[in-house]
Amino acid sequence: MRPYTYAAPGTVREALALAGDGSAYLAGGTTLVDLVKLEVMTPEHVLDITRLPLRGVAVRDGALRIGALERMADVAEHPLVAGPYPVLAEALLRSASPQIRNMATIGGNLLQRTRCGYFRDTASACNKRVPGSGCPALTGENRMHAILGTSDACAATHPSDLAVALVALDASVHLASRDGERSVKLADFYLLPGGTPEKENALRPGELITSVSVPALAWAERSTYVKVRDRSSYEFALTSAAVALDLRDGVVRAARVAAGGVGTRPWRLPAVEAALTGAPAREDAFEAAAAKAADGARPLAHNAFKPELLRRTVVRALLELAGRS
Amino acid sequence: MTRTSLGAPLDRVDGRAKVTGAARYAADNNPAGLAHGYFVLSTIAKGTIRSIDAARASAAPGVLAVYSHANPLRLLPPRSYIAQFIGEPQRAMQDAVVRHYGQIVAMVVAETFEQARDAAALVTVEYDAQPPAADFLAGVPGARDPQTPFGHPVTILADGVPDIDAALAASEVTHTAVYTQPPEHHNPMEPHSAVAMWDGGKLTIHSGSQGPALHALDLAEGLGVPQEDVHVIGPYVGGGFGGKATSWSPTLLAAAAARALRRPVKVVTTREQLFTVTGHRTASHLTVTLGARRDGTLTAVKNLAVTTFEIENPASPPTAAYKCPNLDLRLKVVDLDIPRRTIMRAPGYAAGTFGLECAMDELAHELGLDPIELRMRNYATASPDKGLPYASKHLDECYRVGAERFGWSRRKAEPRSVTDGQWLVGMGMATCVLPSSQHAGAARVRFRANGTVEVACNTADLGTGAMTVLAMAGADRLGLPVGRIRPALGDSTLPVAAEGDSFMGAVGSAATSTILSAVHDAAGEAITALIAHAVSDARSPFHGMDAQDVRYSSGVLEGGGRRAGFGELLTTTGTPGVEAVTTATLGEDTERYAFITSGAHFCEVRVHRLTGEARLSRVTCVVDAGTIVNGKTARGQIAGGVVMSAGQALLEGAYVEPATGRIANANFADYLVPVNADIPAVDVHFLDHPDTRYNPQGARGLGELTGTGVAAAIANAIYNATGTRVRDLPITPDKLLS
Ligand SMILES: Cc1cc2nc3c(=O)[nH]c(=O)nc-3n(C[C@H](O)[C@H](O)[C@H](O)COP(=O)(O)OP(=O)(O)OC[C@H]3O[C@@H](n4cnc5c(N)ncnc54)[C@H](O)[C@@H]3O)c2cc1C
Ligand code: SF4
Repeated sequence: MRPYTYAAPGTVREALALAGDGSAYLAGGTTLVDLVKLEVMTPEHVLDITRLPLRGVAVRDGALRIGALERMADVAEHPLVAGPYPVLAEALLRSASPQIRNMATIGGNLLQRTRCGYFRDTASACNKRVPGSGCPALTGENRMHAILGTSDACAATHPSDLAVALVALDASVHLASRDGERSVKLADFYLLPGGTPEKENALRPGELITSVSVPALAWAERSTYVKVRDRSSYEFALTSAAVALDLRDGVVRAARVAAGGVGTRPWRLPAVEAALTGAPAREDAFEAAAAKAADGARPLAHNAFKPELLRRTVVRALLELAGRS
Repeated sequence: MTRTSLGAPLDRVDGRAKVTGAARYAADNNPAGLAHGYFVLSTIAKGTIRSIDAARASAAPGVLAVYSHANPLRLLPPRSYIAQFIGEPQRAMQDAVVRHYGQIVAMVVAETFEQARDAAALVTVEYDAQPPAADFLAGVPGARDPQTPFGHPVTILADGVPDIDAALAASEVTHTAVYTQPPEHHNPMEPHSAVAMWDGGKLTIHSGSQGPALHALDLAEGLGVPQEDVHVIGPYVGGGFGGKATSWSPTLLAAAAARALRRPVKVVTTREQLFTVTGHRTASHLTVTLGARRDGTLTAVKNLAVTTFEIENPASPPTAAYKCPNLDLRLKVVDLDIPRRTIMRAPGYAAGTFGLECAMDELAHELGLDPIELRMRNYATASPDKGLPYASKHLDECYRVGAERFGWSRRKAEPRSVTDGQWLVGMGMATCVLPSSQHAGAARVRFRANGTVEVACNTADLGTGAMTVLAMAGADRLGLPVGRIRPALGDSTLPVAAEGDSFMGAVGSAATSTILSAVHDAAGEAITALIAHAVSDARSPFHGMDAQDVRYSSGVLEGGGRRAGFGELLTTTGTPGVEAVTTATLGEDTERYAFITSGAHFCEVRVHRLTGEARLSRVTCVVDAGTIVNGKTARGQIAGGVVMSAGQALLEGAYVEPATGRIANANFADYLVPVNADIPAVDVHFLDHPDTRYNPQGARGLGELTGTGVAAAIANAIYNATGTRVRDLPITPDKLLS
């Protein structure tokens, strides 16, 4: 760990004023402190933002708004989340462990870094950590890596479960910087690795996530997050599916489908959504729609199973929703 | 003898200390002037160190020294055969050669842990690298014969049978398949750690180990000091599983650095470092061929195991499992540039029973027999290799009772017949076996004037409950409540047997039976000594009596109308204590009998029909281990073994990169072990048939037993649920997507 300075600003304005080159915001610390100890992240100034007033879960103008500093555990249990958006609550509850969910924040969750083992090991090359140094994952260990959105420079999975659910729900992040405030669709917030895997999102230097909002979607009550993993709990996804269904009289009127564990960013599946629209709520129709889930996939040596597992994960989520009264 | 406590499900005597944090593990010791060591590990697997630049690290805040082969802490190579074979023949930092990825190449010692760690990141090492051999499966075809006294082939042929292939050719049916598993790591909760301090030429070191005496010997050899100048203290050990049976460089380097710096040094290896700076369980590749008659009678078993370690022989379980006239069991070894291998819970048997017990399930299916029926048709009442009858074996009862408790009769033989919603449900079973071992251990029993008795044995409590068993053994033999016994273990100065392997401590599931016989004998002699003191000390009320006229019962001496508790007696005579130290004579009749611990596992799994996750939903284990000394801690051992084996079956495995020799998942995020959500309630049932030909208390060991068979029971249940047979562990969802 490299020595760094520490400050705990009390207001957003103060935080933004202190932010600069080599600074990092500290929220729950469950990603940042880990990576600082590993010397994967080496901030010179740590700005503890946990005193900022970026809290609250509320519905405003029909949209659900969640403060960036809300804890994962609290959000998962919040009545404005658990009832209307089961997919969000389930994605959160299937993340990490209770101890981590008690510490970790929503903003931090969206900015967590990949779990690629080479990224986390400073003895290894890694284009994301040291641009241009190479990507050992492409020929090395890559069972957990992405099959969608990869490039010849990087195939790291975006690990957040919550982000997958939020992308399915068309959520936006709200940002603040010294230049003012702006909002970005979460789906556009994350960048593909291309030739610059070190650039992961649209955040500008010093910019803060202040909140996340989810537009109203009445039928999101019928939504779920299916997470497939080797271990029953406390593990990242091999594959996951965030699905919401507007189902009436045995027919799918509209659907939202996004996938995790497979993409270099949370992966919305519009082709699957389109194929589901108007389809009967039956397994064969679900299979036909899910067949498109892994279109364009580029599997690596150890994750050749992921396209098939992804298709099945989507079918499973659809069946679970169709089975709900 | 009065049976006061043996068999009772007693709480651990140290349970409160452990859950309140009062128990002091090695790293909890913080003597004044403590410095902290942190290791720099190699980032190549094979080659030599061209240069080490320690200048920046040496100049970093708080740094006291940076050691490496260029500025060495001299350690002598180990001489004991145990360290040679199951430990490190080569101590770290003694030369410029890199033998595996993650080898210790430098050690930074600083005032604080953080300073040492941060400075370690400033050490730069340059290598002349060579391509390593790190691909186990690629090495399997060219594997060599073993070179040590271990792993000799076992060949037993019936009269007139020229070789095993002839026996197989003459069999009505044969089944052959390959069963593989990746390397496994012990991952004890407590990493290897040590706090070392010197006083003149004498070393005191707090360090958890499975055998404090062996640990002291290893340290003395490495440091070039007499063994009596090394005092190892480790009453609490946070898990060993074989990984702390011998001593590893981190501990030796802590002691050497403390000597060089003339101040106490603490070393705590990190979770990540543990994967490479200590030993692990070898990968294995086991080809099992069974020959049988159509009625299921086994006619031949041929096993060819390939590992990276001569001491773990997965070919060996047929020497203890079934009656069979022809056996051919062989081991071959692949040499790789990877971290050291060592013994791990149920060495050889863990991987070996996975293969054998899956093969038996497959044979049963082929023959249309119930898996229990197939096993009963090959029931061994004598040990298959030595031909000696088992003194006490009730495995048949384990099958019967287990089937009953588990509801085995509800199992459908046809795979994929039972579903529960989207989940396929299956049942599987397997035998678990482990030949029994015990050592002629030494013990010291000391009556003390304060009315308590110290019962001491040179072994360790790895979390098993050995300290409690030690107290119970003393209480039982002396007729005292457990509360009046002061158990002592985990200290190299406690008595060791002059001969034999008892100085190895808690290995081979031998601790309990070793403790029982040692304490039994020492307590008997302590009573004799107490009586001798009573009749010879002038201040004693029994003074001048004939020793034969004084009787001991439940802590009280009686004779000639006089009566005194031992505390009262010793207070009266002004004697702090009276003790005896003895080495037990083993009562077991190994010339005429064989001894075995066995049991039956039953598992139910659920496998998602679409996404293939296999989840354990029910487990029953019925165990025949002779007398159960403490039902509670014994249950902990059995259930704990099930958890570990569930990891073996479904989750665990190090991934060694073939090209680099780097372990890609050397951390707890990527090397998965079971969490609570993976483990259902485990139904453990013990038969209680004392094996009194083994020792007077009739207790055999059981610590490693559920390291055997469980993985096969799970794999067999998964086959029953899905119709997919997976022979390559761990059984992850991707393998069940058919
Ligand atoms: C063992 C383990 C298992 C896990 N398993 C899962 C899992 O299964 N699924 C899953 O989704 N996640 C998992 N996680 C990740 C976990 O959810 C994240 O670590 C956590 O959500 C990060 O939140 P935090 O508040 O602790 O962030 P921090 O560590 O404080 O910050 C993370 C990053 O975000 C930046 N940051 C934080 N807040 C803001 C803000 N408001 N504005 C701008 N920048 C900000 C920080 O500078 C830092 O770069 C796991 C983590 C661990 C350690
Ligand atoms: S996949 Fe990406 S994060 Fe992983 S090593 Fe390659 S470049 Fe680094």
